[in-house]
Amino acid sequence: MPAHSSNYTRRALLKTLGIGGGALALSHFASASAFAQQEPIAGKRLSPFTGPGGNPYWNSVGPMATYPQKAPLVLLTDRPVQLETPRHYFLDPITPNDAFFVRWHLEGIPNEVDLTSWRLHVEGNVNKPLELTFSDLLHKFKPVTFAAVNQCSGNSRSRFEPRVAGGQWGNGAMGCARWTGVHFRELLDMAGVKSGSVQVQMQGLERGKGPKGMPSYEFMKSLDLSNPVLDECIVAYAMNGEPLPMLNGFPVRLIVPGYFATYWVKCLTDVRLLDKRDENFWMNPAYRVPDTPRGTTTPAEVAAGKVKMIPIARMPVRSFIISPDGATKIPAGLPVIVRGTSLSGFGGIAKVEFSDAARGGWREAKLGEDLGRYAFRIWECAWTPEKPGKYSLAVRATDEKGNVQPDEGVWNPGGYLWNKIERQEVVVGDAA
Amino acid sequence: MNLGRKKRRMVLALLMGVCVVAVGAIYADLEIGYYTSVNLGRLAQPAPPRLRPNGVYRVAAYPLYAPQLVPGVGRQDAAAYCNTCHTPSYITMQPPLPAAIWKVEVDKMGKAFGAQIPTDSQARIIKYLDAHYTPQTRKR
Repeated sequence: MPAHSSNYTRRALLKTLGIGGGALALSHFASASAFAQQEPIAGKRLSPFTGPGGNPYWNSVGPMATYPQKAPLVLLTDRPVQLETPRHYFLDPITPNDAFFVRWHLEGIPNEVDLTSWRLHVEGNVNKPLELTFSDLLHKFKPVTFAAVNQCSGNSRSRFEPRVAGGQWGNGAMGCARWTGVHFRELLDMAGVKSGSVQVQMQGLERGKGPKGMPSYEFMKSLDLSNPVLDECIVAYAMNGEPLPMLNGFPVRLIVPGYFATYWVKCLTDVRLLDKRDENFWMNPAYRVPDTPRGTTTPAEVAAGKVKMIPIARMPVRSFIISPDGATKIPAGLPVIVRGTSLSGFGGIAKVEFSDAARGGWREAKLGEDLGRYAFRIWECAWTPEKPGKYSLAVRATDEKGNVQPDEGVWNPGGYLWNKIERQEVVVGDAA
Repeated sequence: MNLGRKKRRMVLALLMGVCVVAVGAIYADLEIGYYTSVNLGRLAQPAPPRLRPNGVYRVAAYPLYAPQLVPGVGRQDAAAYCNTCHTPSYITMQPPLPAAIWKVEVDKMGKAFGAQIPTDSQARIIKYLDAHYTPQTRKR
């Protein structure tokens, strides 16, 4: 008998109860066991880095850390702050504010904002520059609310092989919230965009220690004025019906549904209409992907200077297995509900399929509530492993545009656009 | 002769029996109520803030948990210059990277980001990263 058997029995029982009752709290608990002690030797911890191969874990491997307005999250860097959301939070289609991932580029992150002096500026190539107070945003515009996934461009960068430099995110640099705010278009129309404008640039309170005019001093992002996504953008002052946590962009941030988070500028203060294209570092060369199918290329092609790079845009279709997470052995014959989530920046999720490899083939999973085309769509699939052994569970999603997740990874120098089929190994034990 | 062999067998059986009982006893002890001290650490709970109803919205200072860079020649340079704009965990978080990539990264800090690092320090930083953070050299 292994030393941790009594622990195991207790977990299995909880898991069974979680399934039987369908109780969210219980399934949360069972899944959170990934962060509990699994080994008979207490205190065994993950190595603080992975590689040179791909990171085999779901999350990145940093320690858990507590930050203002945040539950303990996985720490990537402390200055500027980068925090990853632990796996089990994704059982729910809405990510709580205090668990929402955090990613800043520069160390000057506001610790305070004075709303009596704070203003949102809409300026540049406009007829009537605007200076709006937080109260103006609340009262002078019709509020809009929708759920949308915010995913870091570099989410899952640690999966890349060969590895690339950058934030070594696991899968948890993503989250889905209900955002409330005002239509971005309304602000632009109110200011009156002058003809000859080509892009709109966004900047927030984030500042760095670098020299002025350098990307180490300020962070700015731009979108083409001809981009239809502008009609869907909002300037959000509420996140899940609460003020935004400071680390997620208090008092307002731009929401660009379907697009990677690089455009969702936090602590937004300045919206500028430009009469020429923005060529600042954060638009070029940063956050660019190869102009190839899936944005994939090879180190050799990049070295040969053969690859045309374009700004990153919409999020490819992805799906994840959240539970079981491989931390708990499953007795043969026990019915288990495999649960997970999915997303696509190209519209809603049409289908999620699950496979346990043993039986081969894919079968369709049951989709959870539809919270909107840009939200997480959770899924579940009943699964009963009949025989003891190791199983490789796999999930793939198809979006409404017919995009299906492939079983090949991507490679590009920035570590962007990862959407390979996800797998989870689980161990099924003897039951008699 | 026969008697000796029998005796030896009996002793062997007895020894095995003792072993089984001992192992059984140890596992019986571990199987239930097994507690031990851990070294994974624990996170303290923050005290609730005191808030005033004015227009200032404030959060506490962001905590630093910066890891130590591996001791070695060039560590001073890395700690001093890299730390100007960002935590050294930008180094330790990376997977082991080939020397050529570390050089590109250090060059990028100067050229793209405007970090003012003297040439000799820059060379020492690159050497330091090669000595401790490549697939061949990284230990921790």
